[in-house]
Amino acid sequence: MAAADSPSAALRRRDLCSRGIRLAGKMRSDVVDLLDIYVERQGLDASAGVAAVEGVPVAAAERWDEQTGTQRLLENLAAYRAFRSLLAQMLEEQREQLGDADAALGQALAAVLLQVSAFAYHLEELLRLESRGPPSEEGAGPPPPPNLGLFERKLRGLGVLRELAQWAVRSMRDLRQLAKPGLGSSSAPSLTESP
Amino acid sequence: PRNLKCVMHNLRKMVCTWDAFSKGRHGQTDFCYTTNDLPSPVCFKTKEKRVEIPVPESSTMVTITTNSISGTALATKEFEIHNKDISFVPLTPRILSLTPDFSTSTLNLKWSDNGSVFPNGLDAFWQIQILRKEVMEKVTQVTYYSKLTHEDIILSWNWTSDMPLECTSHYVKIRSYINVTQFVGPKDWSDWSPVEEVPGKDTEPSGSGVFPQDTVVAVGSDVTICCVHEEGQQIKRMTYGPEIYPMIPLSSRSSAIRVLNASASDTSGTNVVCILSEDEMDGTVLFVGYAPDVPQNLSCETSNFLIIKCTWKPGRPSGLYGKRRTKYSLFERISGKNVSCEVNEMNRERVCGFPVLAGQKTYDFILGVSNPIGQTESSLLVDLTERVHPKTPEKLTVSGNSSTSIRLHWFINGSFAEIRLLCQIEISSGHSEQKLHNVSVPGGKFSTYTAQLNTLHPYTKYQFRVRCSAADHFWRWSDWSRIEEHTTLE
Repeated sequence: MAAADSPSAALRRRDLCSRGIRLAGKMRSDVVDLLDIYVERQGLDASAGVAAVEGVPVAAAERWDEQTGTQRLLENLAAYRAFRSLLAQMLEEQREQLGDADAALGQALAAVLLQVSAFAYHLEELLRLESRGPPSEEGAGPPPPPNLGLFERKLRGLGVLRELAQWAVRSMRDLRQLAKPGLGSSSAPSLTESP
Repeated sequence: PRNLKCVMHNLRKMVCTWDAFSKGRHGQTDFCYTTNDLPSPVCFKTKEKRVEIPVPESSTMVTITTNSISGTALATKEFEIHNKDISFVPLTPRILSLTPDFSTSTLNLKWSDNGSVFPNGLDAFWQIQILRKEVMEKVTQVTYYSKLTHEDIILSWNWTSDMPLECTSHYVKIRSYINVTQFVGPKDWSDWSPVEEVPGKDTEPSGSGVFPQDTVVAVGSDVTICCVHEEGQQIKRMTYGPEIYPMIPLSSRSSAIRVLNASASDTSGTNVVCILSEDEMDGTVLFVGYAPDVPQNLSCETSNFLIIKCTWKPGRPSGLYGKRRTKYSLFERISGKNVSCEVNEMNRERVCGFPVLAGQKTYDFILGVSNPIGQTESSLLVDLTERVHPKTPEKLTVSGNSSTSIRLHWFINGSFAEIRLLCQIEISSGHSEQKLHNVSVPGGKFSTYTAQLNTLHPYTKYQFRVRCSAADHFWRWSDWSRIEEHTTLE
């Protein structure tokens, strides 16, 4: 954060962080539930290995503990913006492939998409607190979906949801870091905690 | 010279060949032939042991003299060739094209029948052989029949493979037999043509994948699904849904599984997974469903003479959804108008709207139904004036300041100017029996209708409601309107 935290800003940030942590926690449990439905409805093997999916941000961060608060927020925001587009693609494909036949999966997907959008907005709020504001979205979205066969798309969806579940865990940790008193978002945290 | 053999490839010329045993090199050969209708022998020199000469009426005398390099005669032999000794063997057929249609796994073969060298009307038989795999294993052989027309006709033949053409290379060759009726000698099949090939994906350097890709088949089908992988990889196993299936090797880079009597798949299809070495995975999705059922109880009516609403029962669900779902369209034969129907596959009853056409009373509907597996249809001829099911009467009001009569007013949403309406008024009051009063009124366009009721009891509380139908050709009552209460004056 550019200027030293005023008490009200610090209070506001801690409030946003704690609400963000709750949002991420809820999102994670919903994503885990969605994963179960998804694996079952798509006839996949729950233990199926899925190679890294192009356009899906990876939750694992090198030197996580050295990141500044701003870096954490920016990486989180980029990830959830990407997940928002990826989930929207999945929802569109699901409607095209199944129509109204699998409302449960469609609704679960839509619910998680809503939470991801809300969480992205929440991160933007946190970045606005730093008076630097969130980066614009132009041209930042993931690449258009590659021309994949249906089975590959099913696996890709699995990869997206698994990675999203990982990100929800990471976001909770990042926000706990940010919520620590005395730590402005631009300063690196103490080395007491790492994922 | 010996072993003179003559073969006809058409009815005019024959090709004669012979053997000649000679030490060291020898010069040209003198070839003479004569027939009854030739004034004198025809002679010529040839380096080959093969000549093409006219086909004789009955027989031909041939004299063959081999010479040394310096031209001195070495050996002379005479042969008499009778028609019955000449065999007839058509020329090897020429494949013009072999075209694959990967979406339907169909090969289209085109070849010329070379009919111009034969008289009109001869029967021709073509044996076509399909081979497959790296080892060019014979898959099938069929005989195709045609009639020659003294012209060169391009013949065409389709063959649908029981496995995707991408799985492995397919080969085709052809030979012919022509039933030359007026020919007395032995007749035989031509040589096989050179093979034509449709290369499989397993021949492309980086070709890989599971085939067919995301296809739809009918319940009960036998399906072959293959996994093509890159050089050096191995297939550990192939699964169809939850089951591991035995693999059929097709080539060093392709193996298949054979699913018999496939059962209906789940909504998202049945996954076919090819697990390769280093746990790499490739796969496809198979959608197994039913062709559409003939729509049952097709019925069409109008509630407002603006839209005709057709409903039907879909019959057995197809088990196909989304973009593979069963689609409906309503075609009206008289006007030629076609409407595609937006149908929610999850609800049992199907509905489709068709616009009422100005000046058209009779409608000859065909409800077309199709999905990737098949199509069917149902038809219905209706006279619209006999299929009127008005909307619920609205805005029922009562007026009148008399003790024994009142006037009822109600509105019906719709354009009924072409018919008369029969409306039924239900009259209830606390202490007398419910009465029904029928009234016939000329239909109107989005009109309010009125009816007078007399012989009511003074100072009595009544409940009125109304419903309507077509007067001349009753089809269905509308729903009852809301109840309207009124107390007559004292």
